[in-house]
Amino acid sequence: MAHLSEGTLRRKFDDEDALTASDTRHFSACADCQARYAAIAEDARAVAGVLTLPDIKVDIASALSHVRSAPAAQPRFGIRLPIIRPASRPAMGIVAAAAVIVALVVTGVAQDALVFFQPKTVEPVAVSVADLQSLSGLSEYGTFAWTKEPAPQVVTSAAEAGTVSGLHVPVVGPLPNGVSSTITYAAMPEAVGVFTFDAAKAAAAAAKAGKTLPTMPSGMDGSKLTVTVGPAVVEIFGNLNAGAAENATQLNLPQLIVGASSSPVVTSTGVTAQELENYLLSQPGVSPKLAAAIRSIKDPSTTLPIPIPIELATSKNVQVQGVNGLALGDNTGLGAAVIWIKSGTVYGVAGTVKQSEILDVANHLH
Amino acid sequence: MKSNEDSFETLFAAEYARVAGIANRVLADPHEAEDVAQEVFIDFNRLHSAAAPYAAAWLYRAAAHKALNRVRGRRRRERRELSQAADEGGRAMDPQHVFETSEDRRMVRQALARLAPKPATVLVLRASGLSYAEVAQALGVGIGQIGTLLRRAEAALRKEVTRGTSL
Repeated sequence: MAHLSEGTLRRKFDDEDALTASDTRHFSACADCQARYAAIAEDARAVAGVLTLPDIKVDIASALSHVRSAPAAQPRFGIRLPIIRPASRPAMGIVAAAAVIVALVVTGVAQDALVFFQPKTVEPVAVSVADLQSLSGLSEYGTFAWTKEPAPQVVTSAAEAGTVSGLHVPVVGPLPNGVSSTITYAAMPEAVGVFTFDAAKAAAAAAKAGKTLPTMPSGMDGSKLTVTVGPAVVEIFGNLNAGAAENATQLNLPQLIVGASSSPVVTSTGVTAQELENYLLSQPGVSPKLAAAIRSIKDPSTTLPIPIPIELATSKNVQVQGVNGLALGDNTGLGAAVIWIKSGTVYGVAGTVKQSEILDVANHLH
Repeated sequence: MKSNEDSFETLFAAEYARVAGIANRVLADPHEAEDVAQEVFIDFNRLHSAAAPYAAAWLYRAAAHKALNRVRGRRRRERRELSQAADEGGRAMDPQHVFETSEDRRMVRQALARLAPKPATVLVLRASGLSYAEVAQALGVGIGQIGTLLRRAEAALRKEVTRGTSL
């Protein structure tokens, strides 16, 4: 008979009756297992000794009262961790709005074929939360459909994240104090969505709001924007407190998140991208301030606008990994983030630590 | 049917002492352990239903992880330990004994915090009196793995403590 496993011997230390009858017979006849057991028992006793403490005395009523008086959760960048419910309709709406935001900065030459947009740097665009909410209304001006649905998934290792995404998974250097080295990996293959402008839908939406649709350039109806996002990988550091899968969308922002994604690519057909940009910006749902901010970006064909909710966050330009990046810190001091684009990949580091620590992590990624 | 408020109070009454005990096992500091335990309940209450079947397992694991994170992030507690150990030593306090008690605890906690999260959590939960089944549920592993995890964690902790001693 094979020798008893370490786990079986360890369990015997806690429960003499844990061994089966045949294990017991083997153990009583096997000097090797007995010697291993003696070593295991010695370690167990030693560890129990050093971890022994007097019982803690607690006042449950007072503790409960303290917990009850805790303030409601504050928004951290106004988001919760976006894991991961592919069929979520609100999420699709947000992605559609984000696709349109990317589309808004498409510009360039008149064309019959395709105009490519592939950002190489990032710029902040200050928006209010109301502006962001109004963007989802842009879906009233057309239809958005995935031709290749986003399929984000939690994976078990960096290697698997690399396999799913086809990307190099960034490796972090030293972590800030207090940040757990436990990493949860998520990865997403490339996803492709198409926004089709629909003049009838847009007219109906405008009429419903009691507004007149701005004059439409010829060729606008039915014009398409194809948006490719990802592939992407995300590394989440810290205890996610994942109690159950069905609650995976209800997790707090963890201590640190590192993400990398291929730059989004937008192609358009039907009208010039400049026309489409101008037309979408003139819609009733886009505030003049947001429209002006997006127009002010110097090189929109190569710039990814990052909407910064002005009520929650501030931003500044920084150097990261030798390129221009954007550092964000919210006004509550609860967290910070940095975003940059290098070699066709958008990188982001965010977490509930100081901005200087976020920058340090960003600069040590390799 | 109980409201969520009632369920939370029932859960709190049933589990608070144990959750605080788990945190104290890591921190060796009852005040800080209660801070951690209360944070854990606040987090839980914001995110989950108190009637969730995984509530206790979630609380145990969160308490261990949060407490371990505190040890990793902090040094300032060391000063407080000396006075606490003095209290426990009572009137017949031997200054050398006080120093050794406090120093031992510091080394053990730091050794625990150097372990990977899973073995550190296994040790803390088991030392806090959880059964194999409860530890397995908290970690989301099969009960058959607990013996092996414990064995490896204990060997690793002894090694870490020894390493700390020789430094």
